[in-house]
Amino acid sequence: MFYDEHIDAQGCIRSHYQPVQEWFDRLTPAHLSALEQQRNESFRRQGITFTVYGNSEGTERTWPMDLYPQIIDATEWATIERGLCQRVTALNHFLDDIYSGTQAIIADGIIPQRLITSCTGFEREAMNVSVPLGARCVVAGIDLVRGADGGYQVLEDNLRNPSGISYVIENRAAMTKLMPAAFANLAVRSVNHYGRSLLRALRSIAPPACGDDPTIVVLTPGVFNSAYFEHAFLARSMGVELVEGRDLVVDNHVVAMRTTRGLERVDVIYRRIDDAFLDPVVFNPHSTLGVPGLMAAARAGTVTLANSVGNGVGDDKAVYAYVPNMIRYYLNEQPIIPNATTYLLWEHDQRTEVLNRLDELVIKPVAESGGYGIVIGPKASDAELHTARQNILKDPRNWIAQEVVNLSRLPAWDGDEFAPRHIDLRPFVLCGEQTEVIPGGLTRVAMRPGSLIVNSSQGGGSKDTWVLGTNQPNQPATAPEASPATTPAASPATAPEASPATPANSPSGPANRLS
Amino acid sequence: MKLDICYRTIFRFDSPVRESQNEMRACPVTNQRQQLLSYRISLEPSARTLSFTDYWGTRVDQFGVTDSHQSLQVTAEASVETQDPIPLTANPPLEALLEPQFRDSHEEYLHPTPHTNYDSALAQEAQTLASDAKDVRSTVEAVWEFAGSRLSYQPNSTKIGDCITEIAAKKAGVCQDFAHLGVALCRSLGIPARYVSGYLFSSNDRTGSVSGDFVRVQTHAWFEAAIPGAGWLPLDPTNQLTVGHQHVKIGHGRDYDDVPPLRGVYSGPATPEVEASVEIRRMDPAKFPTTALQPSLLREVMKPRNRHNHTQSHNQQQQQQQQQ
Repeated sequence: MFYDEHIDAQGCIRSHYQPVQEWFDRLTPAHLSALEQQRNESFRRQGITFTVYGNSEGTERTWPMDLYPQIIDATEWATIERGLCQRVTALNHFLDDIYSGTQAIIADGIIPQRLITSCTGFEREAMNVSVPLGARCVVAGIDLVRGADGGYQVLEDNLRNPSGISYVIENRAAMTKLMPAAFANLAVRSVNHYGRSLLRALRSIAPPACGDDPTIVVLTPGVFNSAYFEHAFLARSMGVELVEGRDLVVDNHVVAMRTTRGLERVDVIYRRIDDAFLDPVVFNPHSTLGVPGLMAAARAGTVTLANSVGNGVGDDKAVYAYVPNMIRYYLNEQPIIPNATTYLLWEHDQRTEVLNRLDELVIKPVAESGGYGIVIGPKASDAELHTARQNILKDPRNWIAQEVVNLSRLPAWDGDEFAPRHIDLRPFVLCGEQTEVIPGGLTRVAMRPGSLIVNSSQGGGSKDTWVLGTNQPNQPATAPEASPATTPAASPATAPEASPATPANSPSGPANRLS
Repeated sequence: MKLDICYRTIFRFDSPVRESQNEMRACPVTNQRQQLLSYRISLEPSARTLSFTDYWGTRVDQFGVTDSHQSLQVTAEASVETQDPIPLTANPPLEALLEPQFRDSHEEYLHPTPHTNYDSALAQEAQTLASDAKDVRSTVEAVWEFAGSRLSYQPNSTKIGDCITEIAAKKAGVCQDFAHLGVALCRSLGIPARYVSGYLFSSNDRTGSVSGDFVRVQTHAWFEAAIPGAGWLPLDPTNQLTVGHQHVKIGHGRDYDDVPPLRGVYSGPATPEVEASVEIRRMDPAKFPTTALQPSLLREVMKPRNRHNHTQSHNQQQQQQQQQ
């Protein structure tokens, strides 16, 4: 059984999808393939690509975006937004408790100590490196799915270097260019302010001593990284420098950037290099990507790294199982969005149950991301199940099991027709002085019929995600139809925002201070 | 025993280098058995140090030399007062190792690490030697004796980074290897164990003997095993000494990599020549008798790494790190 995103139990189009459905109903297959062609050319021209490692056909691919958007109505989004703010706030409390605090959550018996000490993402080198506002996770990507009952669940947290936001913004730009009329009469909330919001969050965690105008940079591993496009995109949209490790130098525990004008002090680094490569003095000694002495500078408090080092302890999939308890412990609240049902395989009874039902469950390695290493029991061969069993018995801490979540479905264009495909959603949460959720997020879609694998690294596609404003415009005057339809070169993305009912550029949702 | 320790390392490069960044772990810890009286670091060329206590409780001094230099001299001077440890009286049965709370709080000391990555053959040896032991103490002591006799003491016979099974096969090593072997054997038997870095006031690591009031040696290493309900039992397998007033502890970790005396990187094509020494002077000689003096030589400290001798393809691979 699946939840259908756009058709209700009576077989009617859900009301928030009706205007878009009507728009698509007017298109012929020829129209659609023309739009697809336009889309591909536009992405190719702009170099909007992603990289698949280990593929012999060439690693760069044009970004796959399906034309049919996911639409979330205002009421539903309000709940998601509150749930995500709550979750990421609790996770930041947790990370700060582990690295800068007293580890009270262990002392109080909420989580066992060995859960932390056995975690590969627990970075002992980050111990007692403090972060302004306790904002250890400035950018979080939380993967949500909708189960058969229609309720949202958190499938996993991404607190290290979640990527994908650039595609959210590029998907929207492409959609507004390709089909401006489809946005008519819908106050779709903007995502274009992401760069400004990220900049504001990064500025808010600058070392207090650096004054009112901190220098911020984006640190990338380099052009061979799969997310290099995004690193460049973010630097550009924030108006800050994009640097590689060799562009930075640490002198007297202060980080400086080599520029044509000489060395310039750096105050905040939005780093998109994994912990292990960040500083060859304390991590992988063979790293040529990092900056020697960077951790000492962070420890001295002259520079803030975002996201903080060691956040892997918060998105380990065994730790994930404890997040609902973290929410109760740190915030004294009930979780708004539940976890998917998860089994910890180092617990004897849970392991026994899982090994008896291996062919019904999803088995995941605790520290991987991007869908790597996952075994889906109902679809796995006997040999794959045997291997999974051996792996679990060999190192139970390294695996979790989850009930299969039958991801909800939404139409996607398969070249001939719109057919239902499974989707999930990765919203992005920013934490600095305020906690803010960017409306929508990256909708990922499994392009093969029946498939539950949505990762773009594994052949999945994406969709634009439309969050509707609380007050839908009913005056035709607010519809963007007139101008964008006739002048597609203009930027219709801003048109729906003309409505005063949708304050797109102000932070929405509860503003939570972190400490 | 009151000891003054001077730990000095000199790096000499055959051409100028720059942007050197280093961490030193050379400061004696203060614990029940020893008290640090004073500690001072001097650097040549001079540099500002950032001092902090790491996850394991060890003092770290971090410093960088940005400008071009052709030598770097690091000197740590410590004054410390040591005592023999209070003997552990508890002698729990082997079942005590399985107690959930004990395992929970010692989890990180139970697993193989890069330097203690024992194989099944070594685990089998440990099983055999522990077969007669009826309790945790006698098991640990059997490991201690075995680790001491399993290897012969041969300066320069191994490199930092050699794995414990290679070393066990060679049957030769220096104090780090004896300590790693003790740690690996304990862990293979389910006993939490940790590697200890420190100084030994002795003219001969192998015998622990000392003559006179002054020795010139290298840093030393031993191990500690966790005894349920009692605490950590320190043992020196290199010379079969129980750890006493001759031993000065710097710190501990899962293996050498958690407490290296010096580690760092620099930029430049040069290769370093390293000269490291430890000088220890006893400041209260009247209180302790002396034994025969013998010469000793130990492995030098780890050389800093040159970060510019990697290939481009290596760099590309690193750039393709995992993204979430």
